[in-house]
Amino acid sequence: MRNILLKEIKLSASPLAFLFIAFGLMFLLPGYPVLCGAFFVTLGLFQSFQFARESNDTVFSALLPIAKKDVVKGRFLFTCFIELCALLLMAVSAVLRMTVFVNAAPYVTNALMNANLFALAGALVIFALFNLIFVCGFYKTAYKLGKPFVTFIIAAFVTVGAFEAAHHVPGLGALNAFGAEHIGLQLICLAAGMAVYAGVTAAAYAKACARFEKIDL
Amino acid sequence: MSIVEVRGLTKKYPSFELKAASFGVEKGRITGFIGRNGAGKTTTIKSMLNLVHPDGGEVDYFGKPLAGNETEAKKRLGYSTGAVNWYQRKKIRDIVDVVKRFYDTWDDGAYRKYLELFGLDESKTPLELSEGMKVKFNLLIALSHRAEVLILDEPTSGLDPFSRNELLEVFTALKQDGVAVFFSTHIISGIEKCADDIVYISKGKIVAAMPKEDFVSRCSAPGETLEDTMLRLEKE
Repeated sequence: MRNILLKEIKLSASPLAFLFIAFGLMFLLPGYPVLCGAFFVTLGLFQSFQFARESNDTVFSALLPIAKKDVVKGRFLFTCFIELCALLLMAVSAVLRMTVFVNAAPYVTNALMNANLFALAGALVIFALFNLIFVCGFYKTAYKLGKPFVTFIIAAFVTVGAFEAAHHVPGLGALNAFGAEHIGLQLICLAAGMAVYAGVTAAAYAKACARFEKIDL
Repeated sequence: MSIVEVRGLTKKYPSFELKAASFGVEKGRITGFIGRNGAGKTTTIKSMLNLVHPDGGEVDYFGKPLAGNETEAKKRLGYSTGAVNWYQRKKIRDIVDVVKRFYDTWDDGAYRKYLELFGLDESKTPLELSEGMKVKFNLLIALSHRAEVLILDEPTSGLDPFSRNELLEVFTALKQDGVAVFFSTHIISGIEKCADDIVYISKGKIVAAMPKEDFVSRCSAPGETLEDTMLRLEKE
């Protein structure tokens, strides 16, 4: 497992995938839909898939002494690694906004969604959609990137819109909590986001393995 | 016993069918896999490596079926194709540094030996290598993990006669070390020079699989070269 992840990092990945982890810091931006940061992180991953395809990475990996499903596992491990690194930056940013900068004017007057634990759950949902729609979709052919990525873009922006709109729905205002307000609810939302991410990613991985087994390279 | 045993391999595409291919590859022998373009050589090789899924048939490596023993088989074989470029802009050194971790049989001494023998510069990228050097790079990886059988798809295509000859000499040296070499080609002179066995495929069907001497005595007319024989057989 360590070797296949190392192969992804050293040979298959585009440098942009690592650079775009920094979009996690967009959680610090006031007056901006913070979940777009999660979408921008996936642009670097998309670039990596393209880079790997141009390097004939799939056939190269399939010839290594590993099971065919480990080729898929390597790509999922790498994807999750980048997503979780970005999530860490988002979490640090969100905690800063919830503690040190809780009374900072730009955040207090922020017209858009607050960067709190509910927003982190939103980022996890977007990453889960990427893994399901794009990564798993890619393994239908192991070379077509366009259609699964366009489908993911649509799903991602609908999700960003839904999360931004959620706290305007009567009775759901607590989702836009500042600092430690409604911390119980915030933690429940985060736990739900983590469960969605883990469950959807595991299902996407299983489906992608089954698809890849059937492909003629 | 054959080191690689192919039995009844079939694969059907809309416009092509591989028809129950059966043959063996022996330890310490060079097997030339010949046939014209589109005869089914690459489909056969890819099916042998599980890169495409055969509709039927079996492939055994070292006496065990590939299905269920894929990882072990891949540790003991090397594959190369002249046409594909891996990680064009990565340095050879960096590619090797990753690949070697997958093989517990990796031999740094052998790597250095073949690096020097093949005249490869590990600070170069595959993009900077000629076609012949790319084949040698793939061979370098296979030989450094002490592959016991080399499966090579058109390794001599696109090479100038000098590089082709050099490569055939490498095959002959490997054979003496007990390595089995199975290589596909449509360049008959290469087979004439170094092959011990011939597997001849035409329109998806294995027409002959036997030692080269037997093939020549059965199929060639007096005074006919192997190339003349192949041309005549294809016309027939």
